[in-house]
Amino acid sequence: MKLTQILTREGWDLKQREILLGWTMVLPAVLIILSLILYPIVYNVYLSFFDVQPLADNTYIGLENHKNVVLDPGFWNALVTTVIYVVFTTLGTTLMGLFVALVMNQKFPLRGLVRSLILFPYIAPVISVVFAWQFIFDPVNGIFMDITYEKLGLFSSRFNLIGSPSTAVWVAVIFSIWKNFPFSYLMILSRLQAIDHNLYEAAEMDGASGWQKFRFITLPEVYFVMGAIVLLRMIWNFNKFEEIYLLTENVRVLSVYTYFKAFVGTMELGQGASLAVIQFLLLIGFILFYVKRVLKW
Amino acid sequence: MVTQHSLPRRIGFLLLVLAIVAFSIFPFIQMLSISLKYPSEWGSPSLVPKNFNIEAYKELLNIGQAAKNVPESVRILLEETPDLTEEQRQTILKKYTSTGDVFPFLKYFYNSFLLSFTAAFITVIFAILGAYAFSRLRFPGRSLIQRGVLFVYMFGGILLLIPLYKMFVGIGWISIPPGAFMSLLIIYIVQTLPVSLYMLGNYFRTIPFSIEEAAMIEGASRFGTVWRIIIPLSFAAIVTVFIYCFMIAWNEYLFASVFLKNFKDLYTLPMGLKALFTSKNAIWDRIMAASVLTATPVIVLFMAIQRNLAGGLASGGVKE
Repeated sequence: MKLTQILTREGWDLKQREILLGWTMVLPAVLIILSLILYPIVYNVYLSFFDVQPLADNTYIGLENHKNVVLDPGFWNALVTTVIYVVFTTLGTTLMGLFVALVMNQKFPLRGLVRSLILFPYIAPVISVVFAWQFIFDPVNGIFMDITYEKLGLFSSRFNLIGSPSTAVWVAVIFSIWKNFPFSYLMILSRLQAIDHNLYEAAEMDGASGWQKFRFITLPEVYFVMGAIVLLRMIWNFNKFEEIYLLTENVRVLSVYTYFKAFVGTMELGQGASLAVIQFLLLIGFILFYVKRVLKW
Repeated sequence: MVTQHSLPRRIGFLLLVLAIVAFSIFPFIQMLSISLKYPSEWGSPSLVPKNFNIEAYKELLNIGQAAKNVPESVRILLEETPDLTEEQRQTILKKYTSTGDVFPFLKYFYNSFLLSFTAAFITVIFAILGAYAFSRLRFPGRSLIQRGVLFVYMFGGILLLIPLYKMFVGIGWISIPPGAFMSLLIIYIVQTLPVSLYMLGNYFRTIPFSIEEAAMIEGASRFGTVWRIIIPLSFAAIVTVFIYCFMIAWNEYLFASVFLKNFKDLYTLPMGLKALFTSKNAIWDRIMAASVLTATPVIVLFMAIQRNLAGGLASGGVKE
């Protein structure tokens, strides 16, 4: 029977038809999400208890995967790197976003053009900008070494900043701030534009300084949106893969570490699944802590 | 905050603006500059090349490459042996003009475009239907689904990668090129669908219901009102969502690298560029030219929809 026939069938009242129609319209989306997001997540938990081969059957090994993961120092290194990365990128992106939003909220010539130019980092494909950044830090040709070594003499020799994990993580942090600050800036700017001008005028009458206006009017108004940005950035940057892996394979945050475990070399898919579960639990813990303690919701 | 500033403060402020702009677009200028420089100039910090070198672009876009790769000796040989048939000549030439060691940029571009366009198109269709139901119809389970959709914000790609890989291996799609391509297509649809539902749902709510009511009184069905009223009225938002989905697929590397690993012919741009960078062809001017060509369509698309997208981003409907 055709859908239109069902929908116009006699004896059904308007409400029942609306329910049926509603479900018909969301059903494709719901089915896709259920079968390809929720089911895989459950399946992932299941896989983490098995020795998983790409092409053979799985064998149940209990908590073996989790044990192997936790006993591997690589995991703990990855965890520390992830925390450094998440904390500094989140702070940097949010503060930079706030700063740029305050600047862009002023009037100046060519403001429209400037506002769209500074969105470029956010919209450009990751793959198209990583090489430019690699070039900037390239030991032979890059402008970073040219300025710090040739012109300023800060270092005793040219070296590859992206080459070693301990310095590469900072390049990854700066790259992430550069790439994502426009998002925070946009969100904060739209909040700034909604602030009532009378508040500032009243404050000026009372002789408030620029800093006081910022501290007692602007900041409370944007506090909430900044809280939301920090939360989103933490979630996204915790799971970040492309922006790090494509820039440098040396920065082993958890997602990159998991990728290497599961898909490079011996393909430890079971351990990879277990890592993904652990990463997810850590993220949930992280968020609960943040929401309870920092946002005090 | 309109206040009177003295001239030095005004200049300082403009310098600040300039610094922010420079920080944002310096890497883009850098890559444009290198893509146009000859290798001898790479080490020079000047951003304007002394001599322009467009060889890299020509190579990537496959302009005038046919004759270039044929060695001198072969060309002379061909000229001096007139008794070869045209067919034989072509076979000999083909050996050298094959794009074996040249970077098949256009093919990767085509793959990426096909994949991104199809995925975005299908996502938008499902999202329009779903979002309409969310915003207009009352049915049990609606708010549960709506909240569930937002929950998806929490999951990173890596959490889904292993189970999805295992699932698609299970049905045998990974081992054949069309299967791998289809798997990736489905995955891109899934990844963009939740946010598209959310964004479109928010937008549809801003359209007054009375317009639809009027149409229904005139005898339009529900699907009729969606087609004739909702879609035209929210066209800008739909285009925005489409481009958002397109960009997600255009940028995606993680799933592509796992699913397309064995099929060089299906590589998307991110995979191709990464492969180019690690191969013997890794030459800065080519890489930068490829970067410029990859970024250009996205930036052009963005400029076209900028106003809408900025609004959409600000209303919090974007997942990365």
